[in-house]
Amino acid sequence: MKRRSFLLAAASGLAVVANGEHVFAKALAQSPLPGLPGSQGRCLVLINLYGGNDGLNCVVPHGDDRYYQLRPGLAIDRGSVLTIDKDVGLNPGMRSLKALYDKGEVAIVQGVGYPNPDHSHFRSTEIWQTASPESYQHTGWLGRYFDESELARDNLFKGVAVSKVLPEVLVSEHTDIPAVPGINQYSMIADGNTVARDAFSRQARDRRLPFASPYLAHVMEIESDAQSSSEELPHLIAGYKSRATYPSTGLGRSLALAAQIVGSNLGTKVIYVEHGSFDTHVSQKNTQNQLLTQFSNAIGAFYDDLAAHGDDRRVLTMTFSEFGRRVEENGSRGTDHGEASPLFLIGGGVRGGLYGALPDLTATNMGNVRYSVDFRSVYATVLERWLGRPSAQVLGGAFKQLPVLA
Amino acid sequence: MAAQTKTDVGGIVRPAGPLDRSNALAPYGGVLGEREAAHLLRRAGFGGTPAEIGRVVGTTAAQAVAALLALPATTSIAPLPEFVAAGHPQRRAVILELQLWWLNRMLTASPLQEKMTLYFHGHFTSRATPRFPWTTYDQNALFRQYALGNLRELTRQVSKGAAMLIYLNGAANVVAHPNENYARELMELFTLGVDNYTEQDVRESARAWTGWQVDRRDNLVSFNPALHDGGRKQFLGQTGDFDGDDIVNIIFEQPQCARFFAAGLLNWFVYNDPEPVLVDSVAALLRKHDFELSPVVGTILRSNVFYSARAYRALIKSPVEFAIGTYKTLGLSELDPSVLAALQQMGQRLFFPPTVAGWPGGQNWLTSGTMIARQNFLTRLLNSQTLSSSSWLRGLPVAPSTAAKQLSQNLLQSDVSPASLVEFESYLGGKGSAALASLSVENYDQRVRGAVYLAMATPAFQLN
Repeated sequence: MKRRSFLLAAASGLAVVANGEHVFAKALAQSPLPGLPGSQGRCLVLINLYGGNDGLNCVVPHGDDRYYQLRPGLAIDRGSVLTIDKDVGLNPGMRSLKALYDKGEVAIVQGVGYPNPDHSHFRSTEIWQTASPESYQHTGWLGRYFDESELARDNLFKGVAVSKVLPEVLVSEHTDIPAVPGINQYSMIADGNTVARDAFSRQARDRRLPFASPYLAHVMEIESDAQSSSEELPHLIAGYKSRATYPSTGLGRSLALAAQIVGSNLGTKVIYVEHGSFDTHVSQKNTQNQLLTQFSNAIGAFYDDLAAHGDDRRVLTMTFSEFGRRVEENGSRGTDHGEASPLFLIGGGVRGGLYGALPDLTATNMGNVRYSVDFRSVYATVLERWLGRPSAQVLGGAFKQLPVLA
Repeated sequence: MAAQTKTDVGGIVRPAGPLDRSNALAPYGGVLGEREAAHLLRRAGFGGTPAEIGRVVGTTAAQAVAALLALPATTSIAPLPEFVAAGHPQRRAVILELQLWWLNRMLTASPLQEKMTLYFHGHFTSRATPRFPWTTYDQNALFRQYALGNLRELTRQVSKGAAMLIYLNGAANVVAHPNENYARELMELFTLGVDNYTEQDVRESARAWTGWQVDRRDNLVSFNPALHDGGRKQFLGQTGDFDGDDIVNIIFEQPQCARFFAAGLLNWFVYNDPEPVLVDSVAALLRKHDFELSPVVGTILRSNVFYSARAYRALIKSPVEFAIGTYKTLGLSELDPSVLAALQQMGQRLFFPPTVAGWPGGQNWLTSGTMIARQNFLTRLLNSQTLSSSSWLRGLPVAPSTAAKQLSQNLLQSDVSPASLVEFESYLGGKGSAALASLSVENYDQRVRGAVYLAMATPAFQLN
């Protein structure tokens, strides 16, 4: 049976009979992706807060006088911090996130970084996405997760990047992950011309070509993937009705699509979205507060929507940013590239609370927050305890797990 | 692309079947037919119109390659990018101007000169700093100047260029605080490959490279002896108070260096993952010609292995080859600026390689997303006004069956399946489909555009 009709049948819940078998039932029995019991049906949503999110004005160390001394023009007033405890609180724009935190559904891991930090956006982004600070890798850590688990090559939507370009984190050796900037952009324009589209499909099936090429099979496979996935996706997710009002921001639209994909049960294990830019060298306060407010509001709507569909416990959201920023503000009411910063794990499956060490602003690394948690520890935790897969091969070594998941 | 010479990169596939070792690099004897001519123009450049291919058909490989090897002087490049002509810029948008300027050169200037410039861009990678586009232009001009020049001299020059000194931290490499970044990549990615040197060699090379400074604003590179480590170094088995030039000389004395570049050239021009015996033959040629590229590239482009069935359409087009090749094939002489956004969606932004190892190439170019971007680029171009300037599309025969064959031949050297030919003809003629009226003067233009899309959507058009 062709993958296309199978997927359509699966989405609509129809039992398709082929060769006397209920193909849908059979396919469902095969479709649980490998992983420990309980990991089926789970999805990881990864949010890239690109540009270098200033951790200290995001998770604010309001109990530390040194923070106020070093940032006379930039520190968040004690009065406006959304207090978590005597030491830290959240940026005032993040009310929705604070509400989730108070429900025990947000883990804040402080001081996340890696050895010998690189201050280049480009290289540090690459390090976080490939999980390889020491050497250059052309596959991402989640790409290698797909390779290692041999996740159903046949599932066109096992991973989805809600972005224009496939991010390095989802680049894999053996599978093809679609980058879908928005449902309208993920389509072949020529498909509007149904005659041309059908002719394209028919000719694509004829393999009698007068030349051989080592890449011919690959080209034909990707052409067919591209056409069927772009045709199928709108149908597959059409049945989903959002039950939350998303903010009309880029991240709001991205997470609305993510909820739609999760709720349509396509077997999607990873969804990547991005938000930024947090590269606040100049006049940081307004820019970052606004970005964090947008982030928090979109997350609030996302989890409202997921909860209304009963999906909130099977979606783990994790943020990352290529680096935090310098502790001391610069001369332009901004901050320069730094090192460790906090990240968030959000969802019904999270054991909420604070993890990692409170940043020590007196013992910096040339003015930057030192890392207390290697980001690969967080990745190992997510791989092993959320996605249910061994992590050592993917991460190139064993990393200590954190007790952040319930 | 540098990375293709490394065996640990995935998605790089050698053609099936054995290499004919006896005469692989010997000159191809016959005259060039249509397929051979188009193959040569695609590999040594970015393809050609039916007329350009036709001019090569019937000549010998020696004649055709001699014409390609005759590069124009780079002292009189015209037009220069606007910002270069105007003086030192500080605007960010300039890098987009530079991208478009270079792409237009690929479309219109000496094809092999720009093809080699593109090769070096992927080999000696340096990511642009948008605030200092001048450094990027200078490196691009250096690659063009040495397009078929001496590899050793190019390696020396590129090491001391502002773009590289900034990108791989050479400018931060001073005697008090050596920075090993460039010293390592010089050997790992640019000249030798992993496992052909020790960590000690990296440290000693870094010491030799100390002292090069960049004034970014004015794009000035200078050597400051006070920041240079003038002491004795032990490098790849030799001892002396080496500087950077000495390091390059010693590297080029290593037999592995010639093999590394030989594999790179074969990957670029012939097919991926070339057999070691073929690599060794080209490496011997490089040494024989003291790393002068012109005779070596000439030998490759004239060789039996280059025209063998195993090399034919054995590479996946990079996005740049795909986009420029489409314009070239259609005979369009000026790029629409939207090509920049399209290239980014296809996965190749010039001057912004994804890693210091360049673009991994091969299968890595193609994902559902980049394939959709390729198809949508075609659709947009084929529905645009730009297409009306195509020199040959308007002259197609009106009879659908003849027009279909002509399209297949002009665009794909008839490398299509029988089903495709049927589809082109049916589409042109409106047969077998209630949705289309039969071909007429009114719908001719629209119908031809659609048929060209169908032809360009075949697998052959993705392959180089």
